[in-house]
Amino acid sequence: MWKKEDVKSQGLPENGPGISANSPATGNVARPASASVPVSSGASACISQGIRIKGEVTGSEDLFVDGHVEGKVNLSNGSLTVGPNGEVKADIFAREVIVRGRVDGKIVGREKIQLWSTGNVAGDLQTERLTIEDGAVLRGRVEIETGKPLDKHAEARGAAAGTSKGGAVSVSSGSAAV
Amino acid sequence: MSFLNKLGIGVGAGAGGSRELPRTMGSSARTRTNGPAPVAAVGATRAPEVRESNRVSNGLKEFLWNLDGLGRGTLLDLGPAWQTTLSFFIERGFRVSSEDLLRAWKDFLTEEEGKLREAAGRAAQHTLDVTPSARASRFLEANLQYPNSSFDAILLWDVLDYLEPLVAKQMVANLTELLRPGGVVFAMFHSKKPEGFQRYRVVDSTTLQVISSPVLCPAQRVYQNREIQDLFSRYRTMKSFVGRDQLRESLFIK
Repeated sequence: MWKKEDVKSQGLPENGPGISANSPATGNVARPASASVPVSSGASACISQGIRIKGEVTGSEDLFVDGHVEGKVNLSNGSLTVGPNGEVKADIFAREVIVRGRVDGKIVGREKIQLWSTGNVAGDLQTERLTIEDGAVLRGRVEIETGKPLDKHAEARGAAAGTSKGGAVSVSSGSAAV
Repeated sequence: MSFLNKLGIGVGAGAGGSRELPRTMGSSARTRTNGPAPVAAVGATRAPEVRESNRVSNGLKEFLWNLDGLGRGTLLDLGPAWQTTLSFFIERGFRVSSEDLLRAWKDFLTEEEGKLREAAGRAAQHTLDVTPSARASRFLEANLQYPNSSFDAILLWDVLDYLEPLVAKQMVANLTELLRPGGVVFAMFHSKKPEGFQRYRVVDSTTLQVISSPVLCPAQRVYQNREIQDLFSRYRTMKSFVGRDQLRESLFIK
């Protein structure tokens, strides 16, 4: 039991890993490899730096992309985080999308889209709520679906830590690790 | 001059003047470091100090007045994607497109430089046409790609001051095509060569926030009234507001 808590404190995902490039499927928590664990990833699945995927990525869990994805990303109920090294050339459909890297394509974040200061998006954004941190680059059209206003007072960083749900909460720990 | 200074009333209390003031004196000019350190500020590089000040904008007020009653209009913002600016217009029912043209220009120049260096290495300079008109065409082929008559309003800010004159001229021609008849352009021009580099965001319907930023590209030209009129000769109305901070705000109605 204590081992499980140990895993959480290192920023490892709580759920079993999906597409995971460098975290073992049956985590040997006792091994002293915590330094190599990607603490920037708090999402269930991780496509880490150096991994390149071409095609369609589909799922319903949260996903952290710090590698290269080309094609289409469809996470019906999940949250997608594009890490600072991530490069996604794809149309993205997800419940929530956090961009800290580069995205070339349309983003549909059903509930929320967050562009962090390092985020760079070339494509249209469609969402209910949008948060843009100073320094983020956007080239495209913004469509706020339900007529709800943008997060006027939200500091993206604070919002990421405080208001996001599920796996996205781990983003705050991810930013600390950068 | 000395009398006013003794009283602490400086001439040119706009964005330009506020930079000269010590921080403790900045009553109208709010100075702060970039609050939550951006994620980019990692490693050896430190986040640059961001200075902000507010300025009353009659140009913006007039711009909004011209768009009043438009309903669900379309707006093209050619500055950085600021949350406050996008929020301001989306809340008023606009569909907003954002394209940071000066960043695109800087990236374009960097790319061109790389291509030139590469071509020079291969002793094949002739492969890249470096004439101003060719550069202008290449830049505009990669940017501002929207169907004609897509927008009711364009926020051009002070972009033209930083572009090569030929690029600026061709860009204004392109923007005119993108604008619907009756559409409005809000532009700004420096009356003298700007000392620093500034970006602007909308605070409210009469106020702009002026943010000193790291220089993306140097100012290319100071446009005189006649030159501005020539640039926008296809527009039926031009209105200018001259500020004390060497910044002219202009409205052009197609």
